Amino acid sequence: MFKPFEKIKHRTFLILVGSQVAVALLLWQVAGGGLIPPPSKVLEALGQLLTTGLFMDNLLTSLLLTGKALFYSVLITLLFGYASVIPLFRPAALFLVKCRYLTLTGLIFVFTLLSKDGGQLKLSLLLFGIVPFLTTSFLSIILHTPNQEYELCQTLGYSRWESLYEVIIVGKADQVFEVVRQNFAIAWMMITMVEGLNMSEGGIGALMIKYNKYNDLPHVLALQSVILGLGLGFDYLLGVLRHWLFPYTKH
Amino acid sequence: MTTYSKKEVLLRVEDVSLSYDRVCILRDIRFSIRDIVRPGLQQGQVVSLVGRSGIGKTQLFRLLSGLQRPDSGRIAIRERLPVEKGDGSIELYRERMVQPGDMGVIFQNYYQFGWRTVRQSLLLAARRNKALTGKEEDAIRQYTRRFDVEDVLYRYPAQLSGGQQQRVSIIQQLLKGGDFLLLDEPFSGLDVCVLDKVVELLIQVSLSDELKTLIIVSHDIATAVAISDTVFILGREAGLEGSTIVREIDLMERGLAWQKGVREEKVFAETVREIKECL
Repeated sequence: MFKPFEKIKHRTFLILVGSQVAVALLLWQVAGGGLIPPPSKVLEALGQLLTTGLFMDNLLTSLLLTGKALFYSVLITLLFGYASVIPLFRPAALFLVKCRYLTLTGLIFVFTLLSKDGGQLKLSLLLFGIVPFLTTSFLSIILHTPNQEYELCQTLGYSRWESLYEVIIVGKADQVFEVVRQNFAIAWMMITMVEGLNMSEGGIGALMIKYNKYNDLPHVLALQSVILGLGLGFDYLLGVLRHWLFPYTKH
Repeated sequence: MTTYSKKEVLLRVEDVSLSYDRVCILRDIRFSIRDIVRPGLQQGQVVSLVGRSGIGKTQLFRLLSGLQRPDSGRIAIRERLPVEKGDGSIELYRERMVQPGDMGVIFQNYYQFGWRTVRQSLLLAARRNKALTGKEEDAIRQYTRRFDVEDVLYRYPAQLSGGQQQRVSIIQQLLKGGDFLLLDEPFSGLDVCVLDKVVELLIQVSLSDELKTLIIVSHDIATAVAISDTVFILGREAGLEGSTIVREIDLMERGLAWQKGVREEKVFAETVREIKECL
């Protein structure tokens, strides 16, 4: 357990995780106090949140917005990703990749001008934040496709379009799930930010900003733990879904 | 000695050269493969290209498969196709430049689409073959039974052993159709028992059609000699850059082709030694 590259059983790993989380919580409980609320207070705040309908409504609003943003992001990413193998469209795809260096500050006003309402503004900001990262990951997968995959298509007499379908569209479908899984964190991180820009529709981000405004740290941390828990749950769900839809990823 | 005759040219390689970064890899490659006819028998051709590691065998393999174009020279194959001649008569064959897809290619690592089951991969290949239209499933059943892989039809490549992957690759390329089958180092990394099975399997394939032509690229000289009717040696000539065909050995002339216990013959050992000296 203390040697590099030592292989341990999955059960042992789970025990390690459990015990380290317990130790961290204990340390937090003992060392906390003053401004930082201890876990017991956060737990209490979480209990209060879960019993209110307000929390569930806001959570559903956020989940709906995230789902919508992810759906459109994947659609745009796939479109640009598939098109990137055609030289004519490669510059546009590469530009999208470089857009990940842009910051939203200053562009929010432009997006506000271009959007019809608050909902559209939030969605477009999320897309602006998610798509470049998804496209970067997907393009990297396409670029690292072993040449033998294309060559096998050639030896079987496939046309270039048939090769694109077989190697990229069918062959990389499972990896789209992995890309979404890896980048979901960005969507989840951004949701709180964009919801703060337009609070009228609510959402977990708006709720957090409200609690933050009154320095209600137990509720802020409780919301953070919900965000973390949902993120982990979504990560696990996508992993399970990937194995179920693409059984070959298990081997 | 077995009676045989050499007929039409099936593959013609003329003055093929290839360079990388101005370094000559292959130079003036020139050879041809002819249809070998044995009276009363359906007999394909088995040709081996042997040479030392790093001599350019894989580059030549890629050129022959049409996956890469040579810097100069031409590689032409004889295609079965009715062509009307100037005088109104019809010729059933024509010679044309090799294209990707003309040759069945078995890569050294028996690469398969990881996302397709064996059955799906074979079905995709069978659908490319017009001669199998409507009979794809039957053909798959026949081949998988013959090559002893019918139990793994619903498995993915990652779940197959190396031997099974090799057989599936061969079936896939056979189902696709075509007269040529190119194999890159098919004997490397095989144990003695599996090696015998692979040799037997390749002989079976070569006997499946008169025009079926197997081109084996290998550095395993003894096995290459044991299975082939002709051996081409890829080597270097003193003072010249790049590799070329330095020798062609007709194993039929020496009575070494199509013999089961050929490895026991004295002339076999002498031929293997002779080839080694050429490398």
